[in-house]
Amino acid sequence: MPPESLIEDSAHDDVAATTSPVKSSRPRGGRPSPTLRRKQLGRTTRPWLLLLPSLVVLAGLLLWPLVKVGILSVQDYEVKFGGGVGVYTGFDHYKDLLSDGDLWRTVLPNTAFFAVACVALTVALGTLAALLLQRLGTTWRVICSTAIMAAWAMPAVTGTYVWVWLFSAGDGMMSQLAGSLGLIDPETTNWFTERLSFYAIATLNVVHHGFPFVAITVLAGLLTIPRELYEAGMIDGANAWQRFWKITVPTIKPIFLVVTILSTIWDFKVFTQIYLMPGGAGSNEEVLNLGVWSYQQAFALNDYGAGAATAVLLTLLLLLITIVYIRTLFKESDEL
Amino acid sequence: MTRTTTAGRIGLAVAVFALLVFTLFPVYWMVSTALDPNAITRGADVLPSGISGEHFSYIFDRGNFGQFLTNSMLVGLGTILISGLLALFAAVAVARFRFRFRTSVLIMVLIVQMVPLEALVIPLFLQMRDYELLNSLIGLTVVYIALSLPFAIWTLRGFVATVPKEVEEAAYLDGCSWPRMFWSVLLPLVAPGLVATSVFAFITAWNEFVFAYTFMKDGSKYTAAVGLFQFFGENSTSWGPVMAGSTLITLPVLVFFIIVQRRLASGLAAGAVKG
Repeated sequence: MPPESLIEDSAHDDVAATTSPVKSSRPRGGRPSPTLRRKQLGRTTRPWLLLLPSLVVLAGLLLWPLVKVGILSVQDYEVKFGGGVGVYTGFDHYKDLLSDGDLWRTVLPNTAFFAVACVALTVALGTLAALLLQRLGTTWRVICSTAIMAAWAMPAVTGTYVWVWLFSAGDGMMSQLAGSLGLIDPETTNWFTERLSFYAIATLNVVHHGFPFVAITVLAGLLTIPRELYEAGMIDGANAWQRFWKITVPTIKPIFLVVTILSTIWDFKVFTQIYLMPGGAGSNEEVLNLGVWSYQQAFALNDYGAGAATAVLLTLLLLLITIVYIRTLFKESDEL
Repeated sequence: MTRTTTAGRIGLAVAVFALLVFTLFPVYWMVSTALDPNAITRGADVLPSGISGEHFSYIFDRGNFGQFLTNSMLVGLGTILISGLLALFAAVAVARFRFRFRTSVLIMVLIVQMVPLEALVIPLFLQMRDYELLNSLIGLTVVYIALSLPFAIWTLRGFVATVPKEVEEAAYLDGCSWPRMFWSVLLPLVAPGLVATSVFAFITAWNEFVFAYTFMKDGSKYTAAVGLFQFFGENSTSWGPVMAGSTLITLPVLVFFIIVQRRLASGLAAGAVKG
């Protein structure tokens, strides 16, 4: 069909399509003429045509691999020439996984405590930064928010290298500083071998990278709170602390919920920041988290099935948090 | 609304100072180490011992870093071209049309964003190996398109929704067809959002580590983030070159973020918060 006739054909009808998109496609009274029916067909298929390429990509590269990882987790997968061969093993990998002492002793606690610490600090620091930005004049607000953006922009890879360099044993700036203060002996102390100090550094890294999102989002929420509320609070004699907890927090509670849940999801699946730290890639078993453990099983030990089972466990945990997130979104807004 | 006392002013100044130090110090330390000719023995000196470009020339001459940056650039550009286009179509569909399963599609887009990369990397690695797309920039680009798409759709949807319907209707009254309206009216109005979203997709690809590290085992196909890895020694690390490479990876992202910060913030707020 030449484009001109297409324009003639659909121009008039589309006005109706956009002005009343919710209404049923069946016109009132009488049978629809053939041309009209064709236009209605276009109206219902157009969104699907527009969605199709994206859906194909998402289905092929995100959903299918998810199914695949589930299948792999009940198989022993062996790599042979010209493709891999999977042998069904039932739930053996899950049994091994759940009866593994390391999971309960180190991996799961590492993952969960690290996520909780990161989320708490990220949200607290991000909120403080947002409150600070709100009080500043235009010039300083621009300077500070640009600095916050710089922290956000730092890629996970390079950010991790900088923190590793800052804390590296012997030559690192923090080691030297602590050494000159007499806190440690920089030659013998290696912060990356101890579980607690390892994760303290990782937390610093993740919080530094993650709090800007919270700060910017909370600031956007703060700016929507009408001034009158605070003025009323001040007239009633509320101090700054009370105004924050009685006015600010309840008003932007939805935003707090969203940033908390999103941060939880992100911090649960931290991989790069741990993997790139000394010993983090699996050589130090004390500091493994779920993501790195799964990767190590699959790619270092070539046990794709066990790695897939661990990955499924991580995915299920995240799915749980995601369901909470979506329910929150729905509760807060009437329509998606 | 605030009574500014001297103590309050000092407190504010201290807070601003602390914020600036915490956010900018790692960036400063990275750049100053990259420029310091005696990086390794620098210790806790705040100022570098000198300024030189030797670490930068080292990574280009000896480390093949130019090739890595080119690879990253190609993969990033491929990602934004395709994912930008696909996301725009999808965003228009969910923001402008009401249809059955619309909410289901949106929820699916939300859920796939949460999937951990570690769960995807195993099956995608095996899949790509079967298709012989390991060690290929195209294979990596395809994966990055999928990774950046959910966020791009979600964010662009907010931008499309802010374009008033009246503008579209005016175009129809002037005799535009839907495709004409899309290209001549909607697209220019959504363009700023498209730019911000594309930048984000580019950064996703540029920063990504897990897939690039797993897929690319041939040194000439490394992206910049993976290429940095080779400057790590067994026992000691040459921090000067590592920081020089890190600086080159970070700077474009930094510039992008600062340019788009306003749009990004409003787009995020529209996409993530208002639902």
